[in-house]
Amino acid sequence: MNTGEYALRARVTQMGLRVRKVMRKPQFWFGFATLVPVLAYYILFSFRPIFRAFWMAVVDYKILHPKASEFVGLANFQQAFEYDLFWISVRNTLVYDGIYILVQLPMAIFVSVCLTTVVRGRRFYQWAVFLPVVVSLVAVSLLFRMLMEPQHGTLNRIIRSLGMPTFPFLTSKKTALYSVIGVDLWKGLGYYVVLISTAMLNIPEEYYEAAKVDGASSWQNFRHITVPLLSNTVALVLALMVIYGLQVYTSVTVLPGEAGGPARATYVMNLLVVTEAFNYMRFGLATAISFTLFLFILLVTVIQLRLTRRAWTY
Amino acid sequence: MTSTAVSARGGRGVGRILGRLGAHTVMIIVTLSAILPFVWMLISSLKPFAELIDVHNPSILPQNPTLENYEEILLRVGFLQAMRNSILVAVPNTAAILFTSTVTGYVFSKYDFWGKEKLFTLILSTMMVPFAVLLIPLYITVSDLGLINRLEGLVVTGLCSTFGIFLMRQSMEDIPNDYLDAARIDGAGEWWIYTRVIIPLSTAPIGALAVFTFLGQWDNFLWPSVLLTSSELQTLPLFLAGLRNLWVQRYDIWCAGAMLTVAPVMTIYTFAQKYFIRGLAMSGLKG
Repeated sequence: MNTGEYALRARVTQMGLRVRKVMRKPQFWFGFATLVPVLAYYILFSFRPIFRAFWMAVVDYKILHPKASEFVGLANFQQAFEYDLFWISVRNTLVYDGIYILVQLPMAIFVSVCLTTVVRGRRFYQWAVFLPVVVSLVAVSLLFRMLMEPQHGTLNRIIRSLGMPTFPFLTSKKTALYSVIGVDLWKGLGYYVVLISTAMLNIPEEYYEAAKVDGASSWQNFRHITVPLLSNTVALVLALMVIYGLQVYTSVTVLPGEAGGPARATYVMNLLVVTEAFNYMRFGLATAISFTLFLFILLVTVIQLRLTRRAWTY
Repeated sequence: MTSTAVSARGGRGVGRILGRLGAHTVMIIVTLSAILPFVWMLISSLKPFAELIDVHNPSILPQNPTLENYEEILLRVGFLQAMRNSILVAVPNTAAILFTSTVTGYVFSKYDFWGKEKLFTLILSTMMVPFAVLLIPLYITVSDLGLINRLEGLVVTGLCSTFGIFLMRQSMEDIPNDYLDAARIDGAGEWWIYTRVIIPLSTAPIGALAVFTFLGQWDNFLWPSVLLTSSELQTLPLFLAGLRNLWVQRYDIWCAGAMLTVAPVMTIYTFAQKYFIRGLAMSGLKG
């Protein structure tokens, strides 16, 4: 036996000993018994589907013979880009998202400032603001569908009693998308208010005390203490809002007379993915559309991470 | 302490009082706009249909209050079946996610092993993928398992939660290792440490995660609507959405159904406000 072989053998034995030593630890078995099923879950219901989605995006998926699906490159994406409903849904999604952020962020910050300013009754106000967040979105959509109904809907009764003409809300393609946004703003406000007001209350009181000594006004307090210390939270909240808005689905399905209607005015990307996949069985096209959505979300995430990192060094 | 502590935030003197007054006014408006639609829903659910849609004699309070709408929805339309289905999915899923999240969170926070951080990042990265991307391949997977149009299909896809694992790891990192070592010296096994040390010290995040998970399942719409097609398997949100077509414009029935869906959650929320807010707010901290 030469020295090389001997050394190798020694190493193998050593490794075996180490493995055996590790295996004798109770932690090893506990960790093993935990991670193996959890990993099995992730492989089956997360990693593999994600990889499969990448594959489905570039093949002509044959539902009955998946293995016979042929590679078609970017043809699915090309098909999506030539599809008028794709562009309608992209436009609607972006309009929805843009307006959602532009209204919701200032509103949430404003309400948070008010919520942190009051002392008496804060818990009650918080309860009320958060109430729409807690309840089912489908129930809320049904509720507003009734309230916004042109003839019998209470909102229109109020509008008419004020002497104004009936507002079409969800029945006109000009106003439907905005009506849906309105409902989602109402439903989501409390969520962002809780995030922002919690961060506001976490700002150390000493800062405000010091400012008080220097005679700062409440606006100066807000502008020079609250805003800079809140930038991380606001960046996060903004990203959450954008990502939520990009994936809106339930409200555009349940609120209008028909999902995405009237006249496709509320057709959004998520809805298009679902209908293309499960009504028309065009899996490849649907996957391509979903990846476009993914791209938007990745972009937002990257920008948010960049912003947060910069704010960190501030 | 808090009342004096917060006072400095709003500035000084008269300005402060005005500021508070303004803040109260805003909060009252916000409160009313949050509550009134639900009040309207409750009142409408007690009105007979004819009164509800009567444009000429609008009434605020029901003139002839009735429970018929509730009777209708509870006895005739299959609401109870939908409630049962929702419970059959949400309860096992919440239990499973609480268990898998705590146990995995414990391993990731307190154990050291090869590739730990890489594995954790890999698991976390799945949170970035929108559900739309996962939808079709996940449907195929569930179909391969023969679980399409079965409640088991919903349960099986919701056994683990990436957010839950992340949350539990974060909070368990704060538990001092000395506690675990002391228990190990006394001869405690890992299961004993998990159930007697780790779990009791993590009740707050567990409560929050329970609320977050349960509500998420209770309100889930997209995935169940794709997975479950037969009407007797509908969960509550599917059932409610189905009322649109089954009972066209029967707002009295809609109100009763929505009310019955919303009321239990609202009641529990009122008594456990802190947990609800913590549970849902924490989901925002995942970034």
